[in-house]
Amino acid sequence: MDDLLNTAPCGFVSFTDDGKVVEINATLLELLGYERSELEGKHVEAFLPAASRIFYQTHFFPLLRLHGKVEEIYLSLRSKAGEDTPVLVNAVRRERGGTIVNDCVLIPMRQRNQYEDEILHAKRAAEEATLAKDEFLAVVSHELRTPLTAILGWARMLKAGELDETSSLRAMDIIERNAESQTQLIEDLLDFSRIISGKLRLDVRRVELVSIIEAAIDVMRPAADARGIRLQVVLDPRAGPVSGDPERLQQVLWNLLSNAIKFTPKGGRVQVRLARINSSVEITVSDTGQGISAEFLPYVFERFRQADHTTTRRFGGLGLGMAITKHILELHGGTIRAESPGEGQGATFILRLPVMIAHRAERSEAEAVAQRAVAVEDRERPAELVKLDGVRVLVVDDESDARDLLVTILTQRGAEVAAVSTAAAALEQLRLAKPHLIVSDVEMPNEDGYSLIRKVRAFEGGLGERIPAIALTAHARSSDRLRALSAGYQMHIPKPVEPAELVIAISNLINRRQSP
Amino acid sequence: MSLDILTRNNVKVFGKGTQPMLFAHGFGCDQNMWRFVTPAFEDDYKIVLFDYVGSGKSDLRAYSAERYGALEGYAQDVLDICAELELKDVIFVGHSVSGVVGMLASIREPERFAQLILVSPSPCYINDPPDYVGGFERADIAGLLHLMEKNYIGWANFLAPVVMKNAERPELTRELKESFCSTDPKIARRFAEATFFSDNRGDLPNVKIPSLIMQCSEDAIAPQEVGDYLERHLPGSTMRVMRATGHCPQMSHPEETVQLIREYLAAIDRPAGPTAL
Repeated sequence: MDDLLNTAPCGFVSFTDDGKVVEINATLLELLGYERSELEGKHVEAFLPAASRIFYQTHFFPLLRLHGKVEEIYLSLRSKAGEDTPVLVNAVRRERGGTIVNDCVLIPMRQRNQYEDEILHAKRAAEEATLAKDEFLAVVSHELRTPLTAILGWARMLKAGELDETSSLRAMDIIERNAESQTQLIEDLLDFSRIISGKLRLDVRRVELVSIIEAAIDVMRPAADARGIRLQVVLDPRAGPVSGDPERLQQVLWNLLSNAIKFTPKGGRVQVRLARINSSVEITVSDTGQGISAEFLPYVFERFRQADHTTTRRFGGLGLGMAITKHILELHGGTIRAESPGEGQGATFILRLPVMIAHRAERSEAEAVAQRAVAVEDRERPAELVKLDGVRVLVVDDESDARDLLVTILTQRGAEVAAVSTAAAALEQLRLAKPHLIVSDVEMPNEDGYSLIRKVRAFEGGLGERIPAIALTAHARSSDRLRALSAGYQMHIPKPVEPAELVIAISNLINRRQSP
Repeated sequence: MSLDILTRNNVKVFGKGTQPMLFAHGFGCDQNMWRFVTPAFEDDYKIVLFDYVGSGKSDLRAYSAERYGALEGYAQDVLDICAELELKDVIFVGHSVSGVVGMLASIREPERFAQLILVSPSPCYINDPPDYVGGFERADIAGLLHLMEKNYIGWANFLAPVVMKNAERPELTRELKESFCSTDPKIARRFAEATFFSDNRGDLPNVKIPSLIMQCSEDAIAPQEVGDYLERHLPGSTMRVMRATGHCPQMSHPEETVQLIREYLAAIDRPAGPTAL
């Protein structure tokens, strides 16, 4: 072998069809940590790990023998010290000096190999994710269609005027219930999407769990009463505050309570217990319902899991509720577990949150009011009593159905409503009618609600007065809320609009403005 | 059957004799692997070559992951071909995993087979301590699957779309098919799993056809211990240890391979005499 080949910056080995090494260069010997005398005359398998030996015998050699050459074969070499190095091999079979030899050039590819492995890994992950997404879409479309079928069917019968008064009332009831169920479904989906994209954020502050539990019980009591289920509450006054997002913790309690009520038969009992355990607060929700089988118990908190696919579900049926609940608690540094002695013997959900240490996360009062106004007002003043007499509201929405709905809701409460369908018309109205408040859709053709409010704020800049504005959007993500608030809206309300919520929000903004 | 078996398995029949010699390729290859050996038998036998479904130029439309997830599925290919060609008195020559495939086929339809010639066979590739040395641990096979994935990735995932877009350039397809004998990494993986994770030691006593075990020297895939095990447990078997080293004597040492097969068949034709050396 000449010097050039011996010291070339790549490995070189030549072997017979028998696999016996006839030549090997210094570069390869150095890589493998062998002396020339240790490998010459030996089988090439001497420096191949097991997997590469099989690949050599089943692919590499047959290919080389049948086609006279191979290119870009990936193999692994094993050094004398037992270390493996990935290499790329090109080989050619030819006659030299009266014998047939196979000449191979080997280039180490450690980093490239790692990079390739990562690509392969990413490819597999992407394939799995696509599959999961397809399955998810199939479930979602099925679940979204179910309430729609009822809504459309009954709405058409109503429209055709085929129903008597009793049936009409029942139809409207069914439509409302199914629309609510679909809303819940969409909210779950959005939460779920925030969870998988890691964007579920907590609005953390000091939370008294007693009030959260009491509020949840208030909401759930009618459902429990209707089914003759006793709701028992045992609250430990020493429980102490926790640090958390009150809306999210409320959601957790609703989930657990509504589940307990849903799966408990008439005349059963649901108990909520709050207790201090060392440095944790424990909430236990137990019921006398249908229980959970031992086989299903480990999967209770997995998404898309439901023990019984035929169960009529109150809140649609994506099986996301428990997965969301668990995630919210984990974000709070808490835990949740489920226990059940077996089917037909009730179930117990035990959640634990760390007690708040003497530290109080303060927030700007205005911010807290803006975000909490609805919930706070909701408890203090029943929505039916809120009046908007004399309040001039400008409604901006490009969809006529949505616009009509808003006009109807607000007019019924005594507001004077001007409604327009474009941002340009809104700016015109602003000058003419001087409304007290704007309610605007965000997604509109030509000019959207963000642009509108920026223009409004720019226009006001010289006047020193700011007209309160509420943004309505179909996207309920936190980024949408942020965008709306930073564009200049005081408040963001996701669609579909809950009439009472809108009315209270308007009343709140107007009152805040009037009282200094 | 909707698909013609001969097309499905890319069956080739030639030779001047009447007794069939059916050559079955091993994992990772196709019927091409026999091309240095078959010329020696053309004058005296009817040579039958084929590719298993999923390998070589077989029809991939006939592939079923379920059927070809176990060696019985491959044995069914052999029996399908025998039935289609109405073969009897077959000398079955199988390389590596096809040794076991031939045994399984002969257990199902012994009447079709005269002899089994097993080139570098193994009934089980995985070690089963303390009594059995197969040569490999399961982790080694996982390593092989990874190597295959990385070596096939270029061909199957990168080149295949190029080939499909270049229907007017058949040389691309040919090149691709010749590069690796199976071009679909999923199929190759399944074949590898069926091969290396199978354990057919329990089937050996049920083989009723006399067989020749051709054991290479220094075979890392089917080591000497495996050959010894087979000789002890396979009824009516004869082992010949070859000078050839490695795992593919039909390609590395075709002359010796031909010689041993000839000697074995000649000895059978003269059953009174002792086995010739």
